[in-house]
Amino acid sequence: MFTRGTLIYIGQRVVLIAFTVLAVSSIVFLGIHRLPGDALFNEHLHGDQYALLLHHYNLDKPLLIQYRDFVVAVVTRGDLGESLVNRGVKITPLVLRELGVSVEVGGFALVFTIGLGMLFGVVAAIRQNTWVDYVLSATSVIGYSVPNFVLGSILILVFAKWLETVTNGSFFYVLGGWTGGIGQLWLPAFALGFPYASIVARLTRASMLEVIRQDYIRTARAKGLRETVVVARHALRNALIPVITILGPLVIGIITGSVVIENLFGIPGLGKEFAQSIQNRDYFIVIGVFTMYAALVGIANLAVDLTYVIIDPRIRY
Amino acid sequence: MATAAVARIAEVSAPVQASLWSDAWRRLRRNRLALMASIYLVLLVGVAILAIFYTPYRMSATGLAPDYAGPSLAHWLGVDNLGRDQLSRIMIGSQISLIVGVGTQILVLAVGVPIGLLAGYYRGWLDSVVTFIINVFYGIPDLLVALILVFLLGPSLANIIIAIVVTRWMDMARLVRGQTLALREREFVEAGRASGAKPIKMLFGHIMPNALGPIIVQATFGVPSAILFEAFLSFLGAGVQAPTPSWGSMAKDGVDAIQFAPHMVIAPSIALSLTLMAFNFLGDGLRDALDPRSRR
Repeated sequence: MFTRGTLIYIGQRVVLIAFTVLAVSSIVFLGIHRLPGDALFNEHLHGDQYALLLHHYNLDKPLLIQYRDFVVAVVTRGDLGESLVNRGVKITPLVLRELGVSVEVGGFALVFTIGLGMLFGVVAAIRQNTWVDYVLSATSVIGYSVPNFVLGSILILVFAKWLETVTNGSFFYVLGGWTGGIGQLWLPAFALGFPYASIVARLTRASMLEVIRQDYIRTARAKGLRETVVVARHALRNALIPVITILGPLVIGIITGSVVIENLFGIPGLGKEFAQSIQNRDYFIVIGVFTMYAALVGIANLAVDLTYVIIDPRIRY
Repeated sequence: MATAAVARIAEVSAPVQASLWSDAWRRLRRNRLALMASIYLVLLVGVAILAIFYTPYRMSATGLAPDYAGPSLAHWLGVDNLGRDQLSRIMIGSQISLIVGVGTQILVLAVGVPIGLLAGYYRGWLDSVVTFIINVFYGIPDLLVALILVFLLGPSLANIIIAIVVTRWMDMARLVRGQTLALREREFVEAGRASGAKPIKMLFGHIMPNALGPIIVQATFGVPSAILFEAFLSFLGAGVQAPTPSWGSMAKDGVDAIQFAPHMVIAPSIALSLTLMAFNFLGDGLRDALDPRSRR
């Protein structure tokens, strides 16, 4: 499956990702330093204190020197600096931990997206033009029209307010980190994944309908295979090929959507940190979070491209 | 007598001239969902225009009722965390959503159509460069870039529109490029070129009108995605600035009070969802009407 060529390709991509990440963080670094206003403007400092802090954050040097020091620290030590607001908090371990949380939520959402999307799509296709098809198709239009934070709010209302005595609020409160546990991520992952599940369902339905009329499916049925085997093993496999072409935008969409969902559910991931640090003007964290996102997007895109190789043997790199 | 009868027969049997557009209009009217969506959108535009002249209360007037008070006769949709009338704010919010949705699509058309036409018509290095840029833009998370842009430019309605256009112009450019690539091989383009039409006349006078159907469909789908985008930005606190309400920022205020004042999140959520759904149904209807072959 992974030939030597593939491995070389992966190597090239990883180098490319590293450069992209550096480029993104540089753009954000230089862009942010052009903003009006003082980095330490929230604090009422005077005289020595102020100068000391500027020196502490390396902000008393010319911009290009600051930038050089920043790049050197990132490349050699992976050091993204220190929070401007919470003094002494190192950014690299902070954003790495948050990245883990975000990946956990996003991965779970992806399971919903692909699982529900395929299930809905296949069922709608094999029950074409029945009420099942109509209900699922209508659900999917509603699904991609309702913003994820609206869906999330409804879920919170239902499970954390109206059914609070039943659920004991346990669906809602997320403790965070890897220890947060999958059990608490059901609702955010569903709210994050469902809109994209609608898109997957539409695509799966359309390509299933095309595949299921083909001769080899008739052959499979004529051989006397059970319908479930025909659908699951013969039809679905080929029906999935158009579907995987949207995996890339899908993963990007889930990463983007997670910013909103994390803020809605109070999940301590990258997205929450991002919105918070922008509001706090904690510029170094903004840079750090953006760097993590650039890496995440690069790696996710690479993973998607490699999935193509696994699902469709005709694709080679 | 005989001539009159012949004339009448000729009149009856003459094929009724049915252009693409009248055909499409007929098909669109028959699509019940699209029709309902259009009616809703006309009403929405009416509300947005009405809100220029009249809202039940001033949208920024605080303390009209006890904070967080639920729906009542005086305040049909209740009041928010500062005692502001929700209905008035939803009405103003409809203006913001429509301006963002339509405004971005006008700019996206202005940017995406020429780029797509040029890339598709001239091909070569120009096309390679454009395709590369489009792919780069598809690879970046649009919301994050837009957030940073709004943050750098400063949050205002104009900057939000700019940020959305910068991150979402590619859909249109890619579509127009594809259409142009297909159309440029057709005979009428060759005929036009042979008769000495200038390139600008070829692009905008001959090729673009023939791609107008898909362009309209794409622009229609672009409106709800821009509205959704603005709602996301506002929800994250990078939207239009207080006290001007947007449905996204109202939903955000509502989420903060979700445990004791659910009406605050429900009202803007319903407005937003209905509007997005209406545009999507209208887009589906237009696609079926303008391009019957692509019917699902």
